[in-house]
Amino acid sequence: MTSVDTYISLSVVILAAFIHASFQLSISVLTLMSGHALGRKTARHRLINLIGGYLFGATVMTTLLLTFVAYLFGSLITGPIPGLWWAIGCGAAVGVGVSVWLFYYRGQLGTVLWIPRGFAQHLDSRSKATKSATESFSLGLSSILSEMLFIFAPIFLAALILIPLSPDMQLFGILLYATVSLLPLYIIGLLIGSGHKISHIQRWRERNKRFLQFAAGSGLFLLGLYVYNEKIIVASMLGGL
Amino acid sequence: MGRAIDVVKRSGKRKSEAFDIDKLSRSIHLACMSVRTPEGEAESATSHVAGIVTLWVEKKPAVTSDDIRRQVAGHLHRYHPEAAYYYLHQRSIL
Repeated sequence: MTSVDTYISLSVVILAAFIHASFQLSISVLTLMSGHALGRKTARHRLINLIGGYLFGATVMTTLLLTFVAYLFGSLITGPIPGLWWAIGCGAAVGVGVSVWLFYYRGQLGTVLWIPRGFAQHLDSRSKATKSATESFSLGLSSILSEMLFIFAPIFLAALILIPLSPDMQLFGILLYATVSLLPLYIIGLLIGSGHKISHIQRWRERNKRFLQFAAGSGLFLLGLYVYNEKIIVASMLGGL
Repeated sequence: MGRAIDVVKRSGKRKSEAFDIDKLSRSIHLACMSVRTPEGEAESATSHVAGIVTLWVEKKPAVTSDDIRRQVAGHLHRYHPEAAYYYLHQRSIL
């Protein structure tokens, strides 16, 4: 693999991470957890501990998920990646992209997401009950898991793209994906920690929710089309299948 | 309070319960504190709004929790618009 191929692969990983970043579940949980903590008159340093624990949990789970999926694919696939795997990943990306366009938010009011209500109620009650950094760490882990319905497509494609790279580039790619995909969460954490009002953040999220929904859906759609073109159509024309 | 007023819970899935002014005050205070309102201002807004809403509730045989939420948000908006926004929208974040 040439260095140009490596840069192209890492660019696609960054695109997948940006799509992951536009999903809103973990941001909603962070907003709720911080709102409840402030309502309980939690001291500033304890609030920062809670936010730090949550961000760390989300980072660990995102890194573990991508590492696990890449390891699994690396174990199952020997030699060049068969076209079927790319087709599954691209199909998932296009399918989830269209679903995000149509169904991401439930109703007009607020930022209620189309996730199983059991998950949402569990996350809601846990965000109320979270009082220590350890609990917020586990809340960060579970909020990323609850988002799997949406993030499995970018993670699937990012893992497929990472496995042909050299080990050091794989590690770099995983860290790059985790950092970019959690960037909005870090920014919201910083804003809350530095004294911004939860109501301002929530108002911004509500005003821009349709744009974020459109961006996430379109991003997935384009990612699926690009990878399909690059790995199936171009590869078959070059006789690489 | 003179008589018990039933509060019909959201979407009717849970059992009705008697109107509780302390519970109402706690929820208003929590919304004020969540948007970083100073303690004294939060207490003042809470007592004013809880008083007005209690008077409104006492005229009804039964109210829904959504009605109370809208009333609180409407009155709280005059004292603290940010807290009113958070009070009304905190259940539609997730």
